[in-house]
Amino acid sequence: MAKREKVAVKICVGTACFVQGGADLLLYDEFLDPIVLANCEIEGVSCLGKCKEAGSKEGAPFVQIGDVVHGDMTEKKFCDLVAEAVHA
Amino acid sequence: MNDLFIDVDYAQIYKSGQKIGGDVFLLSRNPEREQIVCTLSDGLGSGVKANVLASLTAHMAHKLSFSEMDLTHSAKIIMNTLPVCKERKISYATFTIVDIRHPSLDDIQVNLVEYDNPQALLFRDSKPIVWQREKILLHREGAFKKEELSRSSLQMAVGDRLIVFSDGATQAGMGKALPLGWRLEGVREFAQHQIERNPSISSHDLSRAIARKANGLDRLASKDDITVMVVYVRRPRRTLVVTGPPFTKEKDEILGEKLRNFEGKKIISGGTTALIVSRLFNKKLKVDLSCWSADVPPVSIMEGFDLVTEGMLTLSKVATALEQKKSLRTLPNDAVRKFVALMMDSDQVHFIVGTKINEAHQDPSIPVEIGIRRTIIGRLRKALEDNYLKETSQEYL
Ligand code: FES
Repeated sequence: MAKREKVAVKICVGTACFVQGGADLLLYDEFLDPIVLANCEIEGVSCLGKCKEAGSKEGAPFVQIGDVVHGDMTEKKFCDLVAEAVHA
Repeated sequence: MNDLFIDVDYAQIYKSGQKIGGDVFLLSRNPEREQIVCTLSDGLGSGVKANVLASLTAHMAHKLSFSEMDLTHSAKIIMNTLPVCKERKISYATFTIVDIRHPSLDDIQVNLVEYDNPQALLFRDSKPIVWQREKILLHREGAFKKEELSRSSLQMAVGDRLIVFSDGATQAGMGKALPLGWRLEGVREFAQHQIERNPSISSHDLSRAIARKANGLDRLASKDDITVMVVYVRRPRRTLVVTGPPFTKEKDEILGEKLRNFEGKKIISGGTTALIVSRLFNKKLKVDLSCWSADVPPVSIMEGFDLVTEGMLTLSKVATALEQKKSLRTLPNDAVRKFVALMMDSDQVHFIVGTKINEAHQDPSIPVEIGIRRTIIGRLRKALEDNYLKETSQEYL
């Protein structure tokens, strides 16, 4: 099997995201499937800029998976979306 | 900002088993008059009674030093007020007053009054300096002998240190490791060695090193309170804190310029601010996920900057820690602690506060608003000035 590129995951650690659940997402080690974990490259970003967009439907915390920024992130949603991206 | 900094700190170890000290140290700065007064008073015995007497003495010395009164005269008043111990016929408290006036970089006058404490030591870099003390004899009612007060006027220069301590230091080890105790000579040699090893050692570290050594000689169970105070004249250590994006995009460049020209440590506090700076300097910004905290977001690493943190949460926690004079050791290893540590290591802190509005539309309840930023910076500055005697300044961009 050809070695696949790891999925780039960026968790926002800016003020708005951090206080609305981003802090817990940083503990991904504890709730993400190890196999999924091994197949992605997770890092923090200081602000994805979404918190400043007026009238956006989704709220903090934001996480970028691949090229897409997702809002209203929860642990469950995070696991699902990252797993989906890894298995895609 | 001043080009001169007078670093004063002290360390204290109470007599083994005592929860309150018989040694009292007081320090005040009066920036308008460019005056610093520190007083060390040692009450007879130890524990509560000694503490009350030493406090009384130190506070009197302090108040009088800030008055227009001549220091010798102040000292006489104190001595005449101090009770004399009925049995031992000696004074209840000894004291040393250091009155420093520093109108300019090359004019730092020190008036020193010593009464029955061990003699203060002066170092020019690491070289001990001896000087002539003027003796003043006083006879008080009820005292069985004349008492001697000594007074000196000194000029200090950049690189000088004045070290004052209680007899808990000079008598350390007495009857144990050293038959006559550590003595003045011992303290001098030790201090000299410390300065030689680390020529820029702070007053905080040097006073602690001496007190700890004395306590060690007492086998960690000191027989008397040990207090060591150090006055160190040096160039200030500066730190710049940048928080908040500038009002307009055009001002970003100005911020870059200010950062480039600043000599000292640099802290960026705020996610968007950090992104702007990273763009301006073309430096990678990397969030350090190795330390997790529920309270504040992790720090980021950016080449050329000493600390990069999130903004509001971190700043307000830093302000609280400084307001409550939290010791570094008690803080968890997160952004707040790193921030506080840098503040402790600075003499002058300059804040550049960005005034861009329209931040955080997402949730209006989140305090990412300029008014609040201002308030927090105000709290920080006040705590730095009042609790840690740091100089601070601020500008808006
Ligand atoms: S704080 Fe997360 S998008 Fe700005």
